[in-house]
Amino acid sequence: MKQIALYGKGGIGKSTTSANLSAALSARGLDILQIGCDPKRDSTRMLMHGKLIPTVMDLLRNQGEAKISRADIVFTGFNGVRCVEAGGPEPGVGCAGRGIIATFQILQKHGALEGDVIVYDVLGDVVCGGFAMPMREGYAEEIYLVTSGELMSLYAANNICKAIQRLSIRPKSRCRLAGVICNAKGQSREEELVAEFARRVNSEMVQFIPRSRTVQMAELNRKTVIEYEFGSSQADCYRSLAQRVMENTHLTVPTPIEYDELEALAIEFM
Amino acid sequence: MNLRPLQSNSCRHGGCTLTGALSATTHVRDAVTVVHGPKGCAHHNFSLLHTTGLDNGELILPEIISTGLAETEIIFGGEEALAGVLTSVARQDPAAVFVLTTCIVDTIGDDVQEVCGRDYGVPIIRVPTAGFLGGTFQDGMNRALCAIAATVPSRRADSAASRAMGPCVNIIGEKNLEFEVEENYAEVCRLLDGLDLRVNVRCIRNCTLQDLSRLGMARLNILRDEELRPVGDFLKERFGTPYVISYPAGLEGTIGFLQSVADGCGVPGEGAIDREEEIQREILAGFQDIAGSEILMESSPGSPEALLVAGELVRRLALKPGAGGIRVPLPISPPVGSAGVRRLLHRWRCTIHA
Repeated sequence: MKQIALYGKGGIGKSTTSANLSAALSARGLDILQIGCDPKRDSTRMLMHGKLIPTVMDLLRNQGEAKISRADIVFTGFNGVRCVEAGGPEPGVGCAGRGIIATFQILQKHGALEGDVIVYDVLGDVVCGGFAMPMREGYAEEIYLVTSGELMSLYAANNICKAIQRLSIRPKSRCRLAGVICNAKGQSREEELVAEFARRVNSEMVQFIPRSRTVQMAELNRKTVIEYEFGSSQADCYRSLAQRVMENTHLTVPTPIEYDELEALAIEFM
Repeated sequence: MNLRPLQSNSCRHGGCTLTGALSATTHVRDAVTVVHGPKGCAHHNFSLLHTTGLDNGELILPEIISTGLAETEIIFGGEEALAGVLTSVARQDPAAVFVLTTCIVDTIGDDVQEVCGRDYGVPIIRVPTAGFLGGTFQDGMNRALCAIAATVPSRRADSAASRAMGPCVNIIGEKNLEFEVEENYAEVCRLLDGLDLRVNVRCIRNCTLQDLSRLGMARLNILRDEELRPVGDFLKERFGTPYVISYPAGLEGTIGFLQSVADGCGVPGEGAIDREEEIQREILAGFQDIAGSEILMESSPGSPEALLVAGELVRRLALKPGAGGIRVPLPISPPVGSAGVRRLLHRWRCTIHA
């Protein structure tokens, strides 16, 4: 079983990329589980045709852990992709990170963490130990950073490299950086910039996903691009990413760079 | 937030704000203390207070109620749980409800102040603690004393009601968890009696909220020790009451205490001091059988203040400290008053003659 996690700055397109990646992987005949690890709970919405599925945390709160069954938390979406949303508290109260930890405990208890590939779509940044949960021992071993060429997006990706580097030191940890996905905003030389950033942090850019109206159209139609426009060039990108993910053996301990170097890099490719 | 580095001898320092605050609030006998946090935080403190009470000859079941936070409340916030418990506790119509918080409550950011600010029909007194995150045992105790004092009307010692009561003092911050707490209090009362002073309020030990309402009517506050200085300052600001910063420690310390209290209350102290010096001479005369003995003081876990008192006794009884001497125990806190010195010397005698 392959377990991968997508991390990146909020709003950069992690959920869109994750859902399309899951859809593309399922199209290869693989058994896929996608877990949204974000209180926003919208990771799997396109796979579920616009439906916001009940979250593990909703069920924990409303009916208690003892009454939660596997069928309550795992939902089947496009092409058989199984979907789970961790959910979390309302903004400003409680501890969302602890919610992620509790979700993993519940999923493990029900033996739900299975399939050919598990895709973890994680909230914008590793803000606390709870959001590092997918990177802990026994969970995602391959981390993909989703970023555009914008400085703040690269900054967030670099921070996540720090978390991976720290976690990779742990004796039982097999968590490694598997690559950088450029979800482009459409700025000039963006592909070159992200590829160079990936090289500087001891990794490589595994896929360039151009900005495309097809993505917006697919989302308005509550579908992944794979389902909405299977033959489009954008769908080809996600299929290419899926192939790369399945064949990828280049797993590294990242070498995060200093902010000054990051800034100079952004200026160099302006 | 507690950012202080850990002391090398951490078991004798630091501690938890929750325990410190509970050691005070649970002695307001007509109030209830709500511990907002996991039930374990209330449980181990209940056990500690209960067994310490038994050690001091008191069978007391502290009125502690936990909000029982578990996984769900920690993820989604514990404010509803706190409001529910406060509503339930208020139905018992206690004189007041103290609300103390644990580490996890501050970690998840519950707005405890807002929840406590709602109307429950009984006074809610929030004590900002936050468990180990909030500071030390002493910080918790100090905050509890200040939180209670902040609810007391600011009547002053020069009011008509106060004058009618006669000259009196408050005892601030008794160590409710220490051994011989009542013996120490009795010794302080004996010394105060010699100055024709009486105790107005024990803040806080075995009292009611009504007792505490007289807090501002004393001429002087006697702090149990130096660490209560922030409380002394708070009370001075609120009620205008001056303070002395310690119980009497050792023989010379007892004479100094009498002088300080007499000065602070504006009463003559010479007669009481003369009588006390005579009592101290009699005490030392009663222990001449151990004078000149070779001893070895067990310095750990004694405080620096206790060591000072021990040094005084070494001088007064011409004891000979040395590596080959008989090991004599040193108390954690210095002996209180002349009676405390007598008890300490009695223990030393038992060891020396054993």
